[in-house]
Amino acid sequence: MTGAGRNRPGGLHAALAIARRDLVEFVRDRRTLVVTLILPVAMYPMLALSTALGLRTAATEIQVERAPARIAVVLSGDGADALARRITAADATARRRPRSVWPAQIRLETVTAAEAKRRLDAAEADVWVDVPADCDRLLDGAGTVELPVSWAAKPPPPARVQEQFTAVMTEVADEARRRRLSAAGVPAAFLEPVRLTFPGETAAAAAPKQIVPIVAGGVLVLLAVLTLTGAFYPAIDAIAGEKERGTIETLLIAPCAARDIVFGKFLAVFAITLVTLVVNVASIGATAAVAGRYLPAGLSLELPRGVVWPAAVGVAAFTGLAALASATCLAVTTAAKSGKEAQNTLTPVILLVSALAGTALLPGMRAASPVAAVPFAGQVLVARTAFDEASGGVAGPLAATIVSSLLLTWLLLGVTALMLTDEDILFRGPDAATKGLARPSRRERPTVVEGVVPLVAGLAALWYAQGLTPDDLTLAIPLQQVLTVLGPLALVVWWQRVNLVRTFSVRWPGGMPLGAGGSGRHVASLTACLGGAGLVGAGLFGIGAAALLAVKGTALSAEAEDLNRRLLHLMLERPGWLAWCLMAVVPAVCEEFLFRGWVLAAFAGAGASLRRLAVAVVAQAACFALFHLLPERMPQTFALGIALGAMTVATHSILPAIVCHLVHNSIPLGLVALAGGRAALAAAAEAGGSTTDLTGIPPWGVAAAVMGMVCGVALFAVGIRIAHTAGSSKGDDA
Amino acid sequence: MIEVVDLVKHYRASDGGVVKAVDGVSFGVAAGEMVGLLGANGAGKTTTLRVLATLLKPTSGTAVVGGCDVCTDPVGVRQRLGYVSATTGVPDRLTPREVLDSFGRLHGLEPAARRARVEQLLDVLGLRSCADRPAGRLSSGQRQRVSLGRALVHGPPALVLDEPTNALDVVGARDLLELLAELRSAGHAILLSTHRLHEIEQRCDRFVVIHGGRVVAAGTRQDLVAAAPAGGPATLEAAFFAVIETRGLGASS
Repeated sequence: MTGAGRNRPGGLHAALAIARRDLVEFVRDRRTLVVTLILPVAMYPMLALSTALGLRTAATEIQVERAPARIAVVLSGDGADALARRITAADATARRRPRSVWPAQIRLETVTAAEAKRRLDAAEADVWVDVPADCDRLLDGAGTVELPVSWAAKPPPPARVQEQFTAVMTEVADEARRRRLSAAGVPAAFLEPVRLTFPGETAAAAAPKQIVPIVAGGVLVLLAVLTLTGAFYPAIDAIAGEKERGTIETLLIAPCAARDIVFGKFLAVFAITLVTLVVNVASIGATAAVAGRYLPAGLSLELPRGVVWPAAVGVAAFTGLAALASATCLAVTTAAKSGKEAQNTLTPVILLVSALAGTALLPGMRAASPVAAVPFAGQVLVARTAFDEASGGVAGPLAATIVSSLLLTWLLLGVTALMLTDEDILFRGPDAATKGLARPSRRERPTVVEGVVPLVAGLAALWYAQGLTPDDLTLAIPLQQVLTVLGPLALVVWWQRVNLVRTFSVRWPGGMPLGAGGSGRHVASLTACLGGAGLVGAGLFGIGAAALLAVKGTALSAEAEDLNRRLLHLMLERPGWLAWCLMAVVPAVCEEFLFRGWVLAAFAGAGASLRRLAVAVVAQAACFALFHLLPERMPQTFALGIALGAMTVATHSILPAIVCHLVHNSIPLGLVALAGGRAALAAAAEAGGSTTDLTGIPPWGVAAAVMGMVCGVALFAVGIRIAHTAGSSKGDDA
Repeated sequence: MIEVVDLVKHYRASDGGVVKAVDGVSFGVAAGEMVGLLGANGAGKTTTLRVLATLLKPTSGTAVVGGCDVCTDPVGVRQRLGYVSATTGVPDRLTPREVLDSFGRLHGLEPAARRARVEQLLDVLGLRSCADRPAGRLSSGQRQRVSLGRALVHGPPALVLDEPTNALDVVGARDLLELLAELRSAGHAILLSTHRLHEIEQRCDRFVVIHGGRVVAAGTRQDLVAAAPAGGPATLEAAFFAVIETRGLGASS
């Protein structure tokens, strides 16, 4: 056999052979058939039926509510006949005009008061009016006639009957008004200085409302989700299923490259996904054709400019989506060792991707080219825009979404091919899928990803804490620090099992353990480092505040103003020691352990080079600035983060950073003291003066801040120098 | 036909250590020869066979099939090698005919030649009666024969089988081994691993015993039995136990 009757194996030939083989398998899988054929065929008619029934019920209720009523009116009293004549005349006049609120029929009867009451009680009449004898005279004269109106009690007439009877009586009053004006020689136009006319009103009202642009978004998102589910089972079956059945090895020893195998499998999954898409579209079209017949009057499912162009755009965009969905499902399931494991992995991805497609429904989303390139959302957006806007506007976004889909598909297939032949993935144990979630073994420092985890958790907690945090900072600061800094950090630290002393740099400057005794040089080094750090913190606050005031003045955001107000309240209303603890001590300790301890250690890594250290310092400072949320404070917090990170790296200790941060945050309290103390500021506030109306820091203040900064850096450098000469960094490992 | 020289394959363990699955294995299989690869669980048999099948890349050493190196010409190896994995490796929803046909396509056989080859294998392997039945409804023996047919569809001169009789009853195992003996007679080079030593004792030309990733004994049945301590039964199994007990149990790591 060798060499005889044989083509060159591999390439497209092999891919097609694999696609053909997989397609046969997929088609024989009942799950695939259900999702591809039965689900779309059943889903849209059910949705349309329930929607149509709901619309019809609502329309019927509205129609009934607005329908002209038959009103049985009984009149009693000496003026009953006269009022009956006037009502009959007003009814005849009003019926010649188009009226939205008018009874279909008014049945008037003049009876005695006792008979009227009986009829009302027996529900033989809707309304009873006892008319005084001078009713006619008063209506023609200049007086006001009081007409007591009684409604039937059991059952009471519907609201529309009451509304329509009131309209009738208003018409009677209008008629009386016109007679009075005529008698006084005033023309009828006196009461109608303006009359609106709408020449095109009849034609415009006749045009049915197009509901396709309204429902297109929802239907397209549903179509995207169902298209995605079309790829679900075939993708699981294609690679994870092969592994489960033990057939993947036989496929991998075929004479072709891994990319040929992946491409063949992609073609098979894509074919099924495309069929799912086609069946869905056909079902939508057929359902729309049927549903169009049952729409309430005034609504239309027809497109103003026809169906061809929007449908063509939709098909092109969704073909890209089908390709991307197939490649995504294949890539996600490749690492799985069994169908069940693949299902567990793919389900959340499908949900996330569905949510992404759902973003196309957000108000104001339109298919501009950059947005159209966003996977899964872009395709839906382009199709939705095609159904909604003039046809010329979607060519660019359509091109963008197709190019993006093809590019991402190609990248995902490349990744899948790499994973398919990765020995660790191919022959790993059954527990390897959850390896990423397993508690790691003991080690020196966290990884970069692990370093970012508490930040992400903290930011998420910050979002939710907004709704819980009280206005009073006495409670808000501890709550926020616990929820957003200490809580996430403690959980991650417990989970990660790292060396806490090395990660958090808990030691004296220079690297000596905290418990170790120190010589005179050590004491001098420590004093210089901490003193220098404190001066740097004070100087940075002064320079930062001056820069902020110089750039923004008092035009701060509402959030910054609110924070200032709450901080002042804390400083003025609470004991000094409590304000200092909450504003300075707690944030300095908690945030330093998070940012200069955990995050910096994660970014720096073990045995870091100078360049890596520099990048780590900048990265953690950026995180620190971002964590403070207020844009006005970000430049200052970024600069502070750089200084704090550099101190930690230079001294291998977190203590100088804590001192620097502490002094930095203590300065506002110091300024309060300088301004005459808390009592003076409180008195000024009570007198109506604003304590936040700072327009700038005096030049001497800025000079003092700069001087403090320079002296601090110099003192800090001296401290490091002493530490090095004392040999305290010997054996240091950080 | 198959030549393995100083083959080494190390794995990275989950705790960061290194597992030496194969640690300098050398042996060869000539055309028309059937060689049994023996060893306890974890000895390195499957790893060696997977390297030969180009599923794993060796850490060092060479493995050559039909003149093609597994590292430099894996596609050439795959064209010259038929591989039957420890699992039967047959898709449940395909029929034997479809399985053979699809792998014929993958190997680039022309339609006429492919159809003829499929029909020939169905006859040779005794699968004619169940040729159009989904493989999920076949017996273990029938599935194993389908798997063997898949490995033979492109007419490879070398055949590697990983525990091919594992899921078979005695009748199925006997039939399969007789089939392999016929293939050997037809000139195929056959390398198979198994734990069921009595089944292959009289059928293999030579044996290679692996323990702890190393070859600890090699030769004909007579060689191995002769090397075993006197007094015990003169069987391959007794000789095998004697060899691995002198080496101690357990894979090195």
